[in-house]
Amino acid sequence: MLFNTPIFFLFFVAFLFFYGLVFVRKLPRVAFLLTASLVFYGAWNWRFIPLLVGSSIVDYYLAIAIGNAQTQQRKRLFLTLSVCVNLGILGLFKYADFVLQSVSDFLSVFGVEAGLPTLSWVLPVGISFYTFQSLSYTIDVYRGDMQPKRGLIYFTTALAFFPQLVAGPILRARQILPQFHALPVPNWVDARHGFLLITSGLVKKTAADLLAIPAGVLFEAGGPVSLLEAWTGVLAFAGQIYGDFAGYTDMAIGLALVIGFKIPPNFRLPYFAVSPVDFWRRWHISLSTWLRDYLYISLGGRNQRYRNVTITMLLGGLWHGAAWTFVAWGAFHAVIIMGTHFLSGLSAFAGFVNSQSKLKRILTWAITFYLVLIGWVLFRAHDIGSAFDIVVNMHTFGGLPEAGPVAMRIFIATALTVVLLHLLDWFVIAKGESFEKTWWLFWPVLVLIQGLCLMIGEPSNEFIYFQF
Amino acid sequence: MSSSTSSSEPTGSGRGAFARVLFTVLIGMGLALGGVRLFALVVGVGSESLLGRVMQAQRALPQIAEEPNDLVMVFGSSMVRAGFSPREFDAALAEQGIDVTSFNFGFGGLNPLFQDYLSRRVVDELKARDRRLKLVVIEFNPFQTTVTRRNGATALEESYIAMLASDRELWQKTVDDPTSGIRMGLIRYLRDGISAEMITTFMWAEPFQPPDNRQRPQMSDEDRERLGEIGEYLNEVFDEDYPDYDGSDWYYPWRGGGTIKTERSEKTLEIFDEYYDLIAQDNRMEADRQSRIRTADIEELNFDDELVEAFIRIVENFKEVSDHVEVVMLPKNTDWIQNPPEAIERQAAAVARISEATGLPVRDYQVVEDVSNDMFSDTTHLNRYEGAVAFTEFLVSEYAEILR
Repeated sequence: MLFNTPIFFLFFVAFLFFYGLVFVRKLPRVAFLLTASLVFYGAWNWRFIPLLVGSSIVDYYLAIAIGNAQTQQRKRLFLTLSVCVNLGILGLFKYADFVLQSVSDFLSVFGVEAGLPTLSWVLPVGISFYTFQSLSYTIDVYRGDMQPKRGLIYFTTALAFFPQLVAGPILRARQILPQFHALPVPNWVDARHGFLLITSGLVKKTAADLLAIPAGVLFEAGGPVSLLEAWTGVLAFAGQIYGDFAGYTDMAIGLALVIGFKIPPNFRLPYFAVSPVDFWRRWHISLSTWLRDYLYISLGGRNQRYRNVTITMLLGGLWHGAAWTFVAWGAFHAVIIMGTHFLSGLSAFAGFVNSQSKLKRILTWAITFYLVLIGWVLFRAHDIGSAFDIVVNMHTFGGLPEAGPVAMRIFIATALTVVLLHLLDWFVIAKGESFEKTWWLFWPVLVLIQGLCLMIGEPSNEFIYFQF
Repeated sequence: MSSSTSSSEPTGSGRGAFARVLFTVLIGMGLALGGVRLFALVVGVGSESLLGRVMQAQRALPQIAEEPNDLVMVFGSSMVRAGFSPREFDAALAEQGIDVTSFNFGFGGLNPLFQDYLSRRVVDELKARDRRLKLVVIEFNPFQTTVTRRNGATALEESYIAMLASDRELWQKTVDDPTSGIRMGLIRYLRDGISAEMITTFMWAEPFQPPDNRQRPQMSDEDRERLGEIGEYLNEVFDEDYPDYDGSDWYYPWRGGGTIKTERSEKTLEIFDEYYDLIAQDNRMEADRQSRIRTADIEELNFDDELVEAFIRIVENFKEVSDHVEVVMLPKNTDWIQNPPEAIERQAAAVARISEATGLPVRDYQVVEDVSNDMFSDTTHLNRYEGAVAFTEFLVSEYAEILR
């Protein structure tokens, strides 16, 4: 049940009616929200509902056990149990076949045909998001950053909360759990902003689906394309992945807002980043901060920075999918982040890096964006060999197929779309509030844009991040 | 922000706020959907422009059912559309004292999944009027039943089914798969048959072709100019020869077929010969072959199980209203389309599956003596004044006894 489908609209209307108008007391309202969230999740595959509920039950009781434990040793034991259960589930469903296949491939290099069996299990949608979210609760309790909260239904509902269940943002228990205990009602100003975010998300998702086509020309061509089309394809994928994921996130935050819940932003104009480190402060913020707080810092943070960055980025890449391309993508980002740190430490570069000149900012932005684009090739390509070919294609002059008749126009349209996606974000952040107050313009524009997106948006296209 | 309270509910339940949000959602979405409807009306591209021939044929069914003679229907793809001439078929049989009225139900762009729904509409209409077909000839088109062909039609799938399904079938679809069913309901009742996928695939995606797909056959300036002149001439002559023609894709007076040789002048037929020579140049034929390989896997023939199943359903549907059902494969242009042995094996397996499921033989007319490779206008379609005539005569010879 995708947010941009007619059936979700019917679901949400029915949900609003019962949640807001029928179940007026707190507990029945929470129970209904949980039921609705499980229905939403079950629409993909009801067989995975027990897994989601089971995860939440385990972490709820382990968090209480950690809170009640008298010794550090016992706290650590319960935390280890939580980590094992969560990562065990994730590993079994998401990585088992990848590991088995990789071992088989590795052994075959030495002529050993291992013939290892594969599980071929269906990946439960959203599993990477909710296991990380659930895990953050037990870790926070272990670290003393929050006290365990009583009320299993509140914790389960927070974990299963349908706007952000299947593709995040990955919320921390301390951000969201108190809201479920308080059970807010919508504030009209917030709700109005929620409608703006839903519309903005719909625009981004529609743009992403349109950009998927020029991206496909490059990534599905099965051979070299013209230089211009190679760059258009990579640029289009950059726009597609951003529009798709940020669009989903906007809709998730907007939907939560119209029913009174506040979810922090997950993107902050990522393609305006001026360094790889800056990029990760702006891209999928909830994941990058999760990895920073629970992995990078746990490994020792800056103490062994290069090692810890490498481990964090490799696992961050692997979090996106069980494939070597994602590992390579993570490794690539580790290298460019370490490169940034290394250069920043050189006195020769210090003057340049610390300079506030516009030229420096434009240059660092261009280099960063170029590197991010190269990273997206690894992310999107079918395998590392294809990714290498595409990167070569992007840097080859001569001997390539002739560009299509309107290639330059397509390149310009693609580039403009990527820029417009960011301008839309900037507008929502900087001008959204005043726009929302101009009701005579605000509502007609929203309706018009929604109508347009419904007309051309492809409701059958899954969101890319659902597979993670 | 208002929050209504009463003695029966706790303070802060926010009913008023939720009511306001719900009202906003309903009004906003209602207006947005209204905008979609308005857009569909203004643009004017709808089911009629997409499936005009199918819709026109469907509308003709009540009239077909009223025909006094025995009814014959040849049902299939664009190969049937190009290769079967109902009026010539009827005339040839009439000469043998057999009175039938035949119809060309060949439609381009429909795979068996869509044809299944169309066949159900034919069956529904005939049953409702208590009428039967004396003979139905159903084309099994191997390259229309491939995985590649199906993948190429995914953008059309919901749209075509939404247009071809009955209300009951659409409801059943909604019960089986609410997400898809509701979408199809909107396509049918709100979007006039145009899905969002069709807009993006056919209006937006056209310029985005990978290099392999962009190859267009070259033609000399002289030939191109001549082709233009021929086109103009043929249009003019057509207007003169057929002043009553109403522009329909499926024209009842021609019973879904095309023009016939006896209605054209010698000069027009000569010009047509020249036209076919020009469009059948080797480089154009090779481009057409490549296009068929890319879009339909015409040589390797990797069959899609669901499409084969859908074809079996088509045969079963027609059995309900037909005295005699024939399943056939139409002539193949073997100069250009050659299947490797593995493809032939796959085809044989598909044919065997169809025969086993339907209890009917699949008659292989892919290579018949009366139809030669120079009677094709491209790699798959018979030309009108030789190919269609020859194949129609062949069908007469094959089925006259059954119809007698």
